[in-house]
Amino acid sequence: MEKVLNNYLEVIERYLKPLPVSERVDIVKEIKSEMLELQQNGKTAEEIMERLGNPKEMAKAYLGDLIVKGSSFSWNRILAICAYYSLAGLSGMIVIPVLAVCAPVFIFCGVAAPVMGAVKLIDALLHLGIPYAQYIVVSGIKNPMLIFLFCLITGAALAAVGYGCWKLLVHYIKGMSKVKHNLSL
Amino acid sequence: MNIDDWKTQIKRGTLEFCILLMIKQKPSYGYEIINTLEEYPILAAKENTIYPLLRRLLKEEYISSSWQDSAEGLPPRKYYSMTDKGLDYLVAMSVEWDNLLCAIDKIKGE
Repeated sequence: MEKVLNNYLEVIERYLKPLPVSERVDIVKEIKSEMLELQQNGKTAEEIMERLGNPKEMAKAYLGDLIVKGSSFSWNRILAICAYYSLAGLSGMIVIPVLAVCAPVFIFCGVAAPVMGAVKLIDALLHLGIPYAQYIVVSGIKNPMLIFLFCLITGAALAAVGYGCWKLLVHYIKGMSKVKHNLSL
Repeated sequence: MNIDDWKTQIKRGTLEFCILLMIKQKPSYGYEIINTLEEYPILAAKENTIYPLLRRLLKEEYISSSWQDSAEGLPPRKYYSMTDKGLDYLVAMSVEWDNLLCAIDKIKGE
């Protein structure tokens, strides 16, 4: 298809940003289908553009319905919007940063702990005298084998917490955007 | 005399009715609907009227849509067909339309 026609579709797609992606794709596909149909009938790109009119007007016609529907006054809607934004605001300040920091840190610790335990174990078994290895201690446990085991378990637990944080974060963000979508803000 | 404004208003009020009538006859796709409407100057409407209108009818579940591959060399088409809800709506519209025509006839006194 000619570049001008592709450009036309791109412009429409850009103006349709407020709509969900699936709807946007479907709209563009339908217009493209008509363009191809017109081409088959021997119309030039210019004639097709002329027929379809200004892409901005076309997009506005699609959005018009949405705005008309959305602007209907209702206390429920206003409350829903307030609730959404106060929640989103709170999450923006607390929940998202906390989870976003916790997830990688816990996962990192989960990996680091067993590594430290392994270093301690190897050091003790082979008497390598790795510098600073003597500082790797678990209070109350002397046996390097047990320390390694302890590190392994702790590491797994930390990694699980980190993974949980990550899942929660993804779930949370998805949930927020779904609510947003339902309110068609 | 501004007959064009009035014609636009009539068109706005009746396009939905006409499109549903056409889709009831047989499942159609957007370009086909636009072409058929073009045969009647009072109903002729551009893409930027018809496509959003079809989308609204779709959202209100008066019609349903499905993409279908067409003959070789032609693009896939989005066919619209009637739903049961749409048929009920169309029946109700037809009743009101007849009421309107009847009322106009009486007022004209013919």
